Amino acid sequence: MLSYAIATLVSGGVYAILALSLNLAWGGAGMVNLGLGGFFAIGAYASAIATGAGAPFAAGLAIAVVAGVLAGLVVTFATLRLRDDYLAIVTLGFGEVIRLVALNERWLTNGADGLSGIRAPLKPELGLFGFNLFYLGLTTLAALVILLGLQRLDRSPYGRALRAVREDPELARFAGKNVLRFKFEAFALSAAIAGLAGALYAHFQSYVSPDLFAPLITIYIFLAVTAGGVGRPLGALVGGYAVMAFLEAARMAVGYLPGLEPVQLASVQGMLTGLALLLILRLRPQGMLPERIRPAPATP
Amino acid sequence: MMRTPISRRSTLLGTLAVGATALARQAIAQEGPIRLGALVPLTGAGGPYGPNMAKAAKLVVDQVNAAGGILGRKLELTVVDDQSNPDAGVRAARQLIEVNKVAAIIGTWASSVTTAVAPLCWESKTFLTTTSGADSITLLPHDGYLIRTQPNTMLQGQKFGQFALEKGGKKVFFLSPQTPFFQSEMDAITKVVKAAGGDTASLVYDDQKPSYRSEIDTMLRYAPDALILGGYTPDTIVVLKDLFRAGFKGAKIGFGYAINQKLLDSVPASVAEGCYTLAPSPAEGSAAYTGLVKAIGIANPDPYTIQVYDQTNLVVLAMAQGGEATGTGIRNNVRKVSQAPGGAVVVNALDGLKAIAAKQAIAYDGASGPCKFTDRGDIQDSKFRYEQVQGGKITLLKID
Repeated sequence: MLSYAIATLVSGGVYAILALSLNLAWGGAGMVNLGLGGFFAIGAYASAIATGAGAPFAAGLAIAVVAGVLAGLVVTFATLRLRDDYLAIVTLGFGEVIRLVALNERWLTNGADGLSGIRAPLKPELGLFGFNLFYLGLTTLAALVILLGLQRLDRSPYGRALRAVREDPELARFAGKNVLRFKFEAFALSAAIAGLAGALYAHFQSYVSPDLFAPLITIYIFLAVTAGGVGRPLGALVGGYAVMAFLEAARMAVGYLPGLEPVQLASVQGMLTGLALLLILRLRPQGMLPERIRPAPATP
Repeated sequence: MMRTPISRRSTLLGTLAVGATALARQAIAQEGPIRLGALVPLTGAGGPYGPNMAKAAKLVVDQVNAAGGILGRKLELTVVDDQSNPDAGVRAARQLIEVNKVAAIIGTWASSVTTAVAPLCWESKTFLTTTSGADSITLLPHDGYLIRTQPNTMLQGQKFGQFALEKGGKKVFFLSPQTPFFQSEMDAITKVVKAAGGDTASLVYDDQKPSYRSEIDTMLRYAPDALILGGYTPDTIVVLKDLFRAGFKGAKIGFGYAINQKLLDSVPASVAEGCYTLAPSPAEGSAAYTGLVKAIGIANPDPYTIQVYDQTNLVVLAMAQGGEATGTGIRNNVRKVSQAPGGAVVVNALDGLKAIAAKQAIAYDGASGPCKFTDRGDIQDSKFRYEQVQGGKITLLKID
């Protein structure tokens, strides 16, 4: 039971980091990223391939972050003139492209078989339980550090400028802000965080395959950010853990419903997820922890 | 400052009491039901199969419980949905292993789910039985904690190649979506066809496309006289329609699980007419198969459902044989009930349990086939059934 709780918290941590990533691009810069699963995959594969070729675990994480940044820059460059729905569609396409590349470039990714036996750091030394505990610490620490960093960013002049870009790029440009640079930076940083989440996930599960990165995971993260509160890092973090807790609780709870076939229970589980999203949007559209915009400090 | 009424002594006593309760509960767990898990795809790509797979597992558990259970304990089955997705599958498997404390997980379907779940199983000494076909699965370092009842894809590729030759194919084309088994299957087909002086080519397509005209044009340029279709039902429907439009006249050979009644219901009769299908054959007409069909109430159960029935029977028998309701117990005894030398042939768990009670050696003969396993966990042999769509109906040609 304890190992189960730990593993769920690790998964929750990965979802929380992904939610923080999405919140930076979507909540911060107003760039809807439906290709989040693609960046997650890039990080996971980058680290899995690098450590498979002999790189140490820490280098794997770093490589995942760099790969995320590069992918983020490419996508931003390809979508410079797109906003809102159009950007969302293109990023959705990007996510699919990554999944298809992972599926078909067998020499690099081993195709649909996926990469198994990805190195789990310190697992032989710590044992199974010790490793899970260590990984819980690592993931939670990463989530907290990213949270603090993004909160700091939000309070800085940079964060305010980013919000100006989100609200009205024309006006921001008029006020002398380099809108393009803000977009590049925010999206690349967001992609880097998603890449890190992917690497953390890959080394915990020790297996990645293209099936992992179906659009479903992106949708869960959108649910997490929506539930937590778009535009507020703490909201995204809480939302990530909340979605994981909800998914697990829903699966266990439907097991206690009497008189239904397993396939009906699975449908009830899906319906519960939809219902939760509807209820949040109906009752608390701003999320559990809504965005707070602090006024700029008065200049002396 | 207010003094709290909790002394060190009472804390100590409290801890002991909690500990004792936990121990007592664990002792009860040893005496409670034997827990088994079914991890099947109730939603997602495997959605058409999962519900019946769950039914098959439940069927065996109910039969055994009605006869009084095994080792003096009842069986308890927990069915969870892996959503045909490895992330959801891993989380569900953790629940089965850590929370439900199952001795075995039965039925994983998608190869990616099986590969993701397998390490959790061998690390926690939980037994895993799967219907996935990817060759790489039994090559994992599973230490014996895994068996599969699906023939591996090399065997299937061989049979496809031989059948294509039989139908006059000298130039054989393999048209398939990207699957874990594409390469091994293609290699096996090529080996057989080249050995007979023929030639092969292949094309991998994306299984989500609404039309395959360009793929089929590419295929036609090669001018094959036999075409092997590696897809599942939804994409095979689209491929067959486009083949019909293009007027392809060669032999079309597909998997039995793809070209099925559902496919015939959703295309005009002339589109699928003449298609050959090939599938690992359930031991149709065998005692185990007849027993399953009668008990489950489905006229033509799909291969995965049949395999889950066999897997559940084997797991139950292995626990009874070893007198140990754990994953390790199943691992150590599964081959003693599936292929004991000179063992009496049994075709369901109930007969097997009687034989075990009478100290007889047994060899389970399943509804999906003989169910004899290699050391790596693959089945040793399987029969295949060859069918053809004739007059809008799937007609049996031969079982070989």
